[in-house]
Amino acid sequence: MIIAERKPMEEIKQLIAPYKKVLVAGCGTCVTVCWAGGEKEVAMLASQLRLARSGEGNEIVALEATVERQCEREMVAEIKDKVAEVEAVLSLACGSGVQTMAEMFEDKPVFPAVNTTFIGMPEKEGLWVEMCGACGDCFLDRTGGVCPIVRCAKGLLNGPCGGTRKGGKCEIDPDKDCAWVLIYRRLEKQGRLDVMRKYYAPKNYRAVKRPGKVQASKA
Amino acid sequence: MLSCIKEENIERVVVAACSPEFTEHIFREVLEKSGLNGHLLSMANIREQCSWAHEGDVTVKVVELVKMAVNRVRLLLPVEERELPVNRKVLVVGGGFSAINAALQLSRVGLRTTLLEKEAVLGDGPGKLESFYGFDPSSMISAVEGDRNIEVLTSAQMTTVEGKIGDFNVRIRKGEEEIFLKYGAIVLATGYQTELALDSGMEFSQNIVSQEQFCSMLRNPCLETKPKSIGFMLDFSDENSRFPTLATLYNALEAKRKWGSEVYVFYKSVKVDSAGMENLYQEARDCGVVFLKSETSPRITADNGRVKIEAKDVFLGEDITLTCDVLVAEEMYLPAEGTEKLSSLLNTRRDSRGFYQDENVHLYPVGSEKKGIFFIGGCRGDLDLGRVLTDISSVVINVHELLSSGKTVVDVEIVKADPQKCVACLTCIRVCPHGAIQLVRADNSKEVAGISDLACYACGICAAICPAKAIRFKGYGDDEILAQIEAVGESLNGRNVAFCCEHSAYPAADLAGRLRLHYPENIRVIRVPCAGQVDVFHILKAFEKGAAAVLVMGCEDGACHHITGNTRAKERVKYCNMLLKEVKVDGRLVAMFNLSPNAPHKFIRAVNEIAKISKESGR
Repeated sequence: MIIAERKPMEEIKQLIAPYKKVLVAGCGTCVTVCWAGGEKEVAMLASQLRLARSGEGNEIVALEATVERQCEREMVAEIKDKVAEVEAVLSLACGSGVQTMAEMFEDKPVFPAVNTTFIGMPEKEGLWVEMCGACGDCFLDRTGGVCPIVRCAKGLLNGPCGGTRKGGKCEIDPDKDCAWVLIYRRLEKQGRLDVMRKYYAPKNYRAVKRPGKVQASKA
Repeated sequence: MLSCIKEENIERVVVAACSPEFTEHIFREVLEKSGLNGHLLSMANIREQCSWAHEGDVTVKVVELVKMAVNRVRLLLPVEERELPVNRKVLVVGGGFSAINAALQLSRVGLRTTLLEKEAVLGDGPGKLESFYGFDPSSMISAVEGDRNIEVLTSAQMTTVEGKIGDFNVRIRKGEEEIFLKYGAIVLATGYQTELALDSGMEFSQNIVSQEQFCSMLRNPCLETKPKSIGFMLDFSDENSRFPTLATLYNALEAKRKWGSEVYVFYKSVKVDSAGMENLYQEARDCGVVFLKSETSPRITADNGRVKIEAKDVFLGEDITLTCDVLVAEEMYLPAEGTEKLSSLLNTRRDSRGFYQDENVHLYPVGSEKKGIFFIGGCRGDLDLGRVLTDISSVVINVHELLSSGKTVVDVEIVKADPQKCVACLTCIRVCPHGAIQLVRADNSKEVAGISDLACYACGICAAICPAKAIRFKGYGDDEILAQIEAVGESLNGRNVAFCCEHSAYPAADLAGRLRLHYPENIRVIRVPCAGQVDVFHILKAFEKGAAAVLVMGCEDGACHHITGNTRAKERVKYCNMLLKEVKVDGRLVAMFNLSPNAPHKFIRAVNEIAKISKESGR
């Protein structure tokens, strides 16, 4: 799932400073799940903006809308009437949603209100951790299903480094597990430690052609 | 009222009178009698929280309170009642004194029980002290064997538990065999274990023994040499020494009587808070048992096949050295092995020492945060037999009430996740303190949060945290809360809004009124089922609508009826402080107060404090 977090309030306020009427647009998928841009967050941000502007004596009308997936043109189209009413849109979707919205309403400025941070999973309620770097050349078969590219502080393909702490923690951050210790333990459990004996050449990040495109063969 | 509702074809009712605390159910009954759904009622508390609480003319406030109730009542939805079947069988886990007695008593009230014991035989636990009270384990076991209502599964363990009160699905492993059984309630009586508190230098030897070993020495008719002098250690390593104290007093007395030995009890404190303990202590003293108080753990060393004990006596103010033939080491009272595993299986919280049952006064004596799961006896802490017997009676009463008729009446869908809006983020499932929510397939299609009407306590913690605003809480939903804020409308300026938990702050405010304790008139109370139900965006909305300040008031720490509601509320208020600061509003204008329902002065202090802050910040 895509994880995002709200931008600093000052930044958001500056983005919409010139406008008197905006739409705060949420997305009902990934960013709802990670508490960054669902209907509740839309209500909170809109409320905050109204409070901020009325405090400055410069009232703003902040409309609210949340679509199921902002990265789908058809779903974004459902709120076109609301977009038509406003001068600018503040999108709480991931970068992909913001762009879909911007493309659909080319005459309106569409601003991001969240920073899209990573692909991750919830560790517990309210805490998400990065799991995948979307590198375009998956390496997980060799690492027991633990991605060293994002979960090792150094992104090492041939780990661990010399700095692993006692208890299998990372030298950069003692609160984090050393990805390579996790990899070792997992492969050990599967009796596949030989996989670690192999040297892997530096990854060809050019495998990711920008902008990326995936064509499902059955479509 | 009854005839008026009928004659005038009234659809919803606002009662502007006293507090709903003691009267809401009465008015609901009136509505039901007149053919209306009882939940289509909203009460404006214009007596306890208005005319009795303020001096002078309160007409303006009365009008506003009535407006709030009217605005709310318009949005209320009927709540249906439904009868649901519940399984009448009870699973009792454990094979000791508490478990066996609970099973016997449950059988006596007509409930079928399974006794699930991990050991090969019943009564094999460390419950050796029970014989002190004249209980005979073998007669209890034969009573169980002769009881057709009780099924005994030994050498068996629970592996998974699913479902909820009235309908628990339990998987049990017995050897190679797997058994699936269904129960209406689960009672845990898994007991405790003891561990000797020995310093690193001390070695467990012939001279240093446990209470259990000492007991068998006492009972051994062919003991070669009777110890002439005996030392006991008590309460140095573990303050929860109620049970070890009983063992020490009893064994010290026995040794004195049987062998006439010199007996010394080294102690930090003697805890005699159970029935009969003070007498036992006095008896021991009268018989010549010597009690020596020391603040620190005595030094214990081997001395020519005997044990040397060196301590600083508090009363003599002097160092004393004694050499004894036998030392009975201090025993610490600990959660039984497997407690952690079982509690994670049941997804219930444990106390700070690792015993079952969260330290929350509303759970005592035998409840858990989940309906239909109970803890009794030593598995929930250091209990003496009197308390264990009370536990057993309590659990029998509770279970009988829940299951005896084989059915129960519940309010249907008071709290419900809208399957269209739910994104299955699992947040509510993770935060529900009562384990009432699971993923279910709505109309056999996508997975959504399904709230069990049987297990739900309608606290609203899930609704407040749902990021998709998918959880609809009848009576206290976003709409009903905002409608009350909107009702005050323009005139909200300069008013403070207080979200009051119906278990604590709301009755505290009522009590203030009843005692005619006056407080500033500009507070507008919104009653909520739990402080944990108050959503951040409700608070922001109140400010948006002109509120000068907002109070969130819930139960005292560790006393929330919904376990985590008040701590979540505190976190949310903190978050709100930050959100307000971000938009240049004084963060102090939203504050959390914890109080108990009998603390009207604390309620007034909170109201005065927030009034002061709001004045300071020029609102």
